[in-house]
Amino acid sequence: MDYAAISPGGQVICAYNEILSDGIHPVLYLLDKDGKANKMSFELPKEEGEQEAGQLSNIVTKLLFPGNDWALLQDGPGKVYQINVSDGSVKHIYELDSDTSVFEIHAVGNTLIAQDETQVLCYDLQTGEQKPSDEALNQGGSENGLFSAVDTLDSGESIYNLSRGGLYHYKFGGSVMEQLIDGNMNSLGAPAFYPIALAMIDEQNLLVAANDTNASSATGVCVLKYSYSADTPAKPDKELKLYSLYDNKEIRQSISRFQKEHVDVYVNYQAALSEENGMTVSDALKLLTTEIMAGNGPDVLLLDGMPVETYIEKGVLKDLSALFKESGGSYFENILNAYKDENGQMCAVPARFKIPMMQAGSAYFTPGEDFNTFMERKDTMANMQPKTVVEKFWYTCGAAWQKEDKTLDEAKITEFLAKLKNAYGEYDSSQQDDGMQMSVTMEGAGTEVEEDTGFSQGEFNLAYGKCNTNFGLYKSMDYGMQQAVNEKLENGSIDLMPGQADHVFVPFMVMGISSKSAQPEMAEEFVKYLFSQGAQKISQFGGFPVEREAFLSVIDGHQYEGKEDLIAVGGSDLDETLSYPMEPTPKEEIAKLTELVESLTTPALQDDVIKEAAVEEGEKVLKGEQSPEEGAAAIIQKVNLYLAE
Amino acid sequence: MQRISKKVFVKRQKNKTHKNMRGFLWILPSFLGVMVFYLLPYADVVRRSFLGAVDNRFVGLLNYKTVLENTAFRLAVKNTLLFTLVCIPVLIIVALLCAVTLYKSKYGRSIKSAFLMPMALPAVSVALVWRLLFHSQGLVNHWLSGLNIVGSDWMNSGSAFWILFISYIWKNLGYDIVLWMAGLAGISSNIYEAARVDGAGERQCFFYITLPNLKSSLYTITVLSFLNSFKVFREAYLVAGDYPHESIYMMQHLFNNWFRAFSFDKMAAAAVMESAVLLALIMLLQKAWDSKA
Repeated sequence: MDYAAISPGGQVICAYNEILSDGIHPVLYLLDKDGKANKMSFELPKEEGEQEAGQLSNIVTKLLFPGNDWALLQDGPGKVYQINVSDGSVKHIYELDSDTSVFEIHAVGNTLIAQDETQVLCYDLQTGEQKPSDEALNQGGSENGLFSAVDTLDSGESIYNLSRGGLYHYKFGGSVMEQLIDGNMNSLGAPAFYPIALAMIDEQNLLVAANDTNASSATGVCVLKYSYSADTPAKPDKELKLYSLYDNKEIRQSISRFQKEHVDVYVNYQAALSEENGMTVSDALKLLTTEIMAGNGPDVLLLDGMPVETYIEKGVLKDLSALFKESGGSYFENILNAYKDENGQMCAVPARFKIPMMQAGSAYFTPGEDFNTFMERKDTMANMQPKTVVEKFWYTCGAAWQKEDKTLDEAKITEFLAKLKNAYGEYDSSQQDDGMQMSVTMEGAGTEVEEDTGFSQGEFNLAYGKCNTNFGLYKSMDYGMQQAVNEKLENGSIDLMPGQADHVFVPFMVMGISSKSAQPEMAEEFVKYLFSQGAQKISQFGGFPVEREAFLSVIDGHQYEGKEDLIAVGGSDLDETLSYPMEPTPKEEIAKLTELVESLTTPALQDDVIKEAAVEEGEKVLKGEQSPEEGAAAIIQKVNLYLAE
Repeated sequence: MQRISKKVFVKRQKNKTHKNMRGFLWILPSFLGVMVFYLLPYADVVRRSFLGAVDNRFVGLLNYKTVLENTAFRLAVKNTLLFTLVCIPVLIIVALLCAVTLYKSKYGRSIKSAFLMPMALPAVSVALVWRLLFHSQGLVNHWLSGLNIVGSDWMNSGSAFWILFISYIWKNLGYDIVLWMAGLAGISSNIYEAARVDGAGERQCFFYITLPNLKSSLYTITVLSFLNSFKVFREAYLVAGDYPHESIYMMQHLFNNWFRAFSFDKMAAAAVMESAVLLALIMLLQKAWDSKA
């Protein structure tokens, strides 16, 4: 069963997209209050004209049952059919199909609400006519984002809707959409929380069904009840400022939980760089410096992408070592102490980490082999983009370039570029980007586009021979997928990525507290929470937790316990599909990865200025635009200037 | 010596004090602005030059020592001085020659406006054109390849300095021409006529009438050109970012990067030294001008 909806009178309509040899045929069933099912005599009309390849038009994508006599059905391109449930006849058709956007539909009372990214359209379900444009509703929609779920308490005179910002109320014809619950203050705004349905019990109580990827239930679906409390302040009087350069889903999820446990604290999280403001890292850091020095700076800093060592050296960050002494948690000390100095001070502590890993068949990679041996092999990096290759090897090599006096070793950089160029071979300027791999799981949790350096991005290409090796930053374990890829290879294996530095890890979600924080105790409380087991177990695939128990919980595949389904992953070519069973990770594999993590000793060099220079010049070397010696000299020139400052 | 009574002397003194007071009141609003926005912040910079970056503990002359030993600072000073020494004389001379030519031309006034156009262009647009022209795969290299000449990565080689030099001259030439022309307009035509009656030629008129009479303009033009030379950083920053080729790494790059890295201690010490050098240079220039005038 693909879709189902219940009417106010208790009848249920179900839809099933049946795949036959001549295409997809949606089938509808009507269940009465006693559960007796009758197949409806309704056939979804096929789209006229030629269909684009891969476009599925003749399927049901949404089903609503707002009236007792009629239901609403949306097809692939977005057209909505109002069907009489007694005989399957079509009462009205709402032409919402558009080349540029897909409309989300909701129904309240006699109104059909259709929303895309730019507008909210309303239709009268009695007449089938479009209602006049409602400016306040449009504005509310564009400001607050797509409505996840909608309900009414007054037969459609007004609506309650859930958006990313929380719960809103709007009376048709009114002048403003009123926010009733601020999503930033509770789970409604958490990144892993996807509301499916909203049921308003009365003006002070509501039920929300949601898909919560961090929920304790096996399906991830939960129903939450929210009630108005006169004793809870609308906005807590204590405010904790948290700053990062890049948006971080784990931290958003943690904030949501932290605020739930500390109702008197509002965590004001600001991620400086966004598509809207177009700010550069340099501009953001200068602004941050101004704010901190003016005494208006953040209390807690998420230091990813920031010059951590400079901040430690300048005394911008507070020592956190006492926090970990008293916490009594069990952590991977080798990771936790990545920024510990000789005096035992821990001014910056990674909450998560990533591991540079490599997977390939035995012809191209042997587990444990060193950088020199690997670089002598040919065709290991066929069909890969020069920039991506340099960026990935930067993590395992950059850490070996810095001398004791903090300047860079030109000989090491030249060696790196020369060997990399030798292994990479001639650059083929006609080759296109690797392409994005889309993965669809049976749980339907959506798709995620990964960063270029991610390990999982190349798994599919490796399995289908589009590249000979796959390497990158390993930040979550999908044992089934890993095995499925290995089975496609000849003696496939996965291990640490070779590099000039050994046993490298990449500190991630590096936390620090500003030495000028106005609320150091509260900041400590928050950071302590981030390292607690509960917060560490939150997984948005942004790196492995540094806390041992949480680490085990994100790699053991417990969510697959007792399931017998298959996961299918498809690429751009429909013939290429990898499928593997949903099963927990075997104990020996868990132990192997844990042992590997314990062996990590070298934190990757986390300096964006050096990285940028290395990637820019390294790319030119791989493309044959300059020699390794010239590339190394250019890196040294740029970076030594920076280091000399 | 004229003898004056004590009463008259006191009265004269009072009048003088009143006059001084009145003068002071006239400049007070402007002086308050300078005090609040320049002098007090500058005093704070001087104070900070003896303190640590974030913890504000007293470190004596350590910051000055650190800055003077800093290789990035030395490079920035060298580049800034080189740029100033090369650009300003060239700009002043070229602008003067253009101004004299235009002043004599019938169409001088309208052509003068055209020279001011580069000043009206936003720095961002200029930087964009730079990128289009001088990128390793930009238009200049494209044109050169058409002539079978191998191009270069202009902004990542020593050429960057000369690109910056041309940009500075192009942008400031019009402004200096206007200033020179204002100076030329102040020279009475009677002097030229009298000289010509006495048999002076164009060359003699230029060297013995025009140049001596433009000395007062020279000081203003030199100081303004000098101050404008610092603004060239905007284009350099927009094109090449925080870390450009070392030939165009200027003082402003260093200050910009120090600010980002919380190096207020080094910034303050370098700023104090730079302002002292600038003040000394301007005062020397003024003294030289005063003595010649």
